[in-house]
Amino acid sequence: MAPPLFLQAIEDTGFSTWLRESESPFAFYFILLFHTFGLAILVGANLIVDLRVLGVARAMPLAPLKRLFPIMWMGFAMNAVTGILLVIAYPTKSLTNLDFYVKLTVIGMALWVMQRLYSRVFEDPSLSEAEMTARGTTLAKWSLFLWFGAITAGRLLAYTYKYLTFPS
Amino acid sequence: MNFVHLHLLLNHFPIIGTIIALGLFFISLLEKNEDLRRASLITFAAMALLAIPTFFSGTGAQGAIKKLPGVSETLIETHQGAAMLALLFMEITGGLSLVGLWKSHRSSRPARWNWSLSAILVFSIVTVGLMARVGNTGGDIRHPEIATGQEEGTEGSVISRMVHKFEPSPAKFAELMTASKWWWAFMMDLHFVGLVLLIGAVGILDLRILGFAKQFPIGPLHRFVPWAMAGFGINLVTGVLAFTGMDQYYTYDWAFWFKMLAIMLLGLNVAAFYLTGAFESVQDLGAGENAPPLAKFIAASSLFLCFAVITLGRYIQSYSDTITVHK
Repeated sequence: MAPPLFLQAIEDTGFSTWLRESESPFAFYFILLFHTFGLAILVGANLIVDLRVLGVARAMPLAPLKRLFPIMWMGFAMNAVTGILLVIAYPTKSLTNLDFYVKLTVIGMALWVMQRLYSRVFEDPSLSEAEMTARGTTLAKWSLFLWFGAITAGRLLAYTYKYLTFPS
Repeated sequence: MNFVHLHLLLNHFPIIGTIIALGLFFISLLEKNEDLRRASLITFAAMALLAIPTFFSGTGAQGAIKKLPGVSETLIETHQGAAMLALLFMEITGGLSLVGLWKSHRSSRPARWNWSLSAILVFSIVTVGLMARVGNTGGDIRHPEIATGQEEGTEGSVISRMVHKFEPSPAKFAELMTASKWWWAFMMDLHFVGLVLLIGAVGILDLRILGFAKQFPIGPLHRFVPWAMAGFGINLVTGVLAFTGMDQYYTYDWAFWFKMLAIMLLGLNVAAFYLTGAFESVQDLGAGENAPPLAKFIAASSLFLCFAVITLGRYIQSYSDTITVHK
């Protein structure tokens, strides 16, 4: 089954071609770099919250970690933008790969868990540390698992694709 | 300067440094001297870090001299195998030293004898022995006047023949790393997980010291540092394995060498944080309190270097990211 033609149309645009083929250090690898920065910021900050909820560094008060959620969303925003650009650069490569949809699904679930963690554990300042931990433990475990899955699925995109560009 | 210069410049440090550190460590045990012991552990860790680019520079040095008359490829291979085994023990010694340093900083009393000290003792003695063999087999390559063994380099003493049995064959090892794209993908996956651990723990600590998120008390936040070290450890292992798999590829890539330089500077930065009093100046700061300028400066350079390492790593335009691994 040939990939749908609109993928070729995207690939043929000047912008997509520039992203993909430019020798400039500010083209494809630059965007990939910021995708990595965003990953480090989003998952790095979420990981610290998860670990703390699961009992690491107990001396650290839990409530102030609320401050990290805007940082996570900033990382996510970076990755949404750079992710779209990466898809524009290689639409056939990503959209014909089942792993791409797995990755998006897992990220969606991880973001949902992140939001749940925020609303159940951090939003209500009257909760005690014990209550916060009790409410967050399962979510934190899921969060770690899902982010690991998202990184793995993302990494596998580089190894599992069927077409690099639209087959001619 | 070429890779031969670089290799010769670097290669004496891990060998001699480890011997000196072991000497200091012995004396510190006999004298029960806490400061001396810390100094020896810091030296082990520093040598473990420096051993990485030393090892990496070997491939380029080999490329520069292997066509010269009188240079034996077999001797080079023996040297490389010896270096791989020694590097393994060097890194374990370095890692254990960091564990020991972490433990001693956590308790105000001088640490009593514990498992980590015994393990450091055992591993550092083995490391010194293996390092001596690395130096010896390396010397054999260009100094026939000191060569004791035959051409194979394995005909030496009983001990060196025995040790040689445990040394990997560099070519076979490289093949093993790139034989399956799934194994390669798995290593790269872990390399990203390590990155996230490191940036998560260190990045937030740095930001707090710089004055963002001042609600965080610094001492408790610092308790996440072992997770950053674990992340660094994961990346060290997966990075070295990846290098041995495609050493030609990495050796001739400038971004790779600037990345190594940035990692070494990051090591210096960590040393500056703990040894200049910057850490002591911030460890008791509670919510809302301001860190002194020196600590802020070190935190800023830490953040800068961490992101420089990621940037340079991304610009190693690895085969694996765009094309499937080929041998």
